Amino acid sequence: MLKVTNIKKAFKDNKVLKGVDIEVNKGDVVVILGVSGSGKTTLLRCINFLEKADSGQLDFDEQHIDYAKVTDKEINAIRKKTAFVFQNYNLFNNKTALENVTEGLIYGRNVPQSEAVSLAKKALDKVGLSERYDYYPSQLSGGQQQRVGIARAIAIEPEVILFDEPTSALDPELIGEVLGVIKKLAEEGKTMVIVTHEMQFAKEVATHAIFMDDGVIVEQGKPEKIFTNPEEERTRKFLRRILPESEYII
Amino acid sequence: MELNYEFMADTFFKLFHALPVTLSITFVALLAATPIAFLLALARIKKIKYLQLPIKLYISLVRGVPMIVQILVIYSLLPSLLNYLFKELNISYNIFDLNTIWYAYIIFTLSTCAMLTEVFRSALQSIDRGQLEAGYSVGMSTWRIYLRIIIPQALVVALPSLCNITVSIIKNTSLVFMMAVKDITAVGKIAASYGYNYIEAYIDVFVVYIIICSVVQILFNVLEKSFGRFRQRVLSN
Repeated sequence: MLKVTNIKKAFKDNKVLKGVDIEVNKGDVVVILGVSGSGKTTLLRCINFLEKADSGQLDFDEQHIDYAKVTDKEINAIRKKTAFVFQNYNLFNNKTALENVTEGLIYGRNVPQSEAVSLAKKALDKVGLSERYDYYPSQLSGGQQQRVGIARAIAIEPEVILFDEPTSALDPELIGEVLGVIKKLAEEGKTMVIVTHEMQFAKEVATHAIFMDDGVIVEQGKPEKIFTNPEEERTRKFLRRILPESEYII
Repeated sequence: MELNYEFMADTFFKLFHALPVTLSITFVALLAATPIAFLLALARIKKIKYLQLPIKLYISLVRGVPMIVQILVIYSLLPSLLNYLFKELNISYNIFDLNTIWYAYIIFTLSTCAMLTEVFRSALQSIDRGQLEAGYSVGMSTWRIYLRIIIPQALVVALPSLCNITVSIIKNTSLVFMMAVKDITAVGKIAASYGYNYIEAYIDVFVVYIIICSVVQILFNVLEKSFGRFRQRVLSN
């Protein structure tokens, strides 16, 4: 469904992506792991053009895009099929929870107002915020804000949802509620690409795991394999640092 | 020393007849300068190449010259310049018949525009870029995001500065008597000069400005409360 080929991106002299390929099929939950600065967030942002890659190809369903000469029309088409959940939530601060969700429906996808409101309510109910429709982001906790962010993403019924470290900005006691929502989406068979540092969670939801380091994919495959029996030394080192010894070698 | 209270009371109400002049200069300056300043602020933020230097020069020019000097220079320069231009172009209009309040409009718009440009620029930049990206991610266009998300928040940030600017325009309009425009200060001066009641007249003028500026500040406070509702941590309904 979604295929990125040989994508490259540099910020001035700093090469962040040095030719990366990934493929996402319908129903996949792809988890991207790696240390900070390995290029995983940039990869995610390049998929829906929040960052413009220098070169490479993107295939989305029948659409073929060359990163070097992408047009605004092509970018819009991709953004209509994807949704993004940000590390810092990035909610619209002057809009209520409900408006945060309807905004994209009405002004991004031309859904009629009344239909948008009912879709938005459905999305907010799903993330457990049926009591918070009229709250502004400043009146919500971090976990609730991120759940609004997820509602905003699922309401537009995207083919793929991209998660950029959705729990990194949260207090430890609030992480669970957000991961719970994402797990539920995974169980429903939603296609997702998730950049995360939550290893236990990644292990549970992933259908495919990718380990990135220094702008390239070091290793990828079934999560059972990557987490328990990685082939590459760099992957092993990374897991050893993050997971307690007993957990990674069975 | 004894004050002429009867004169004071008479003059006090006379001053209010000049209120439209003071307020019209303020409103014209704000209304005309706002759209231009907004575009200039955007040009600064988007770093449009050939506009950066001219805008910066213009702003530091206005900042660096006292209002009264701006008034004196433009009031002595502009009419002669226009007169010359009209003659060259064979326009028969006599520029010296023009109501001098028009020069006040021009001068105040120019200086307000420079101040507003900086206020709008800093206010727009204070809104986190992440909200723009979030708008993109749900398929909204740049101008839609600006119109519905960024600008409404930036305006709330800008309100205290806008209040300052409005009050300072009102106070600066007291200088237009230099151009023979009859604003509140000018009317007070003229009334005083008949019987040398300067103290009474100036006290009146003093009070009138305080009243106007207080009303403006109250209005802005109300605006900030109602438009800034989304910033309150507790729901107030």
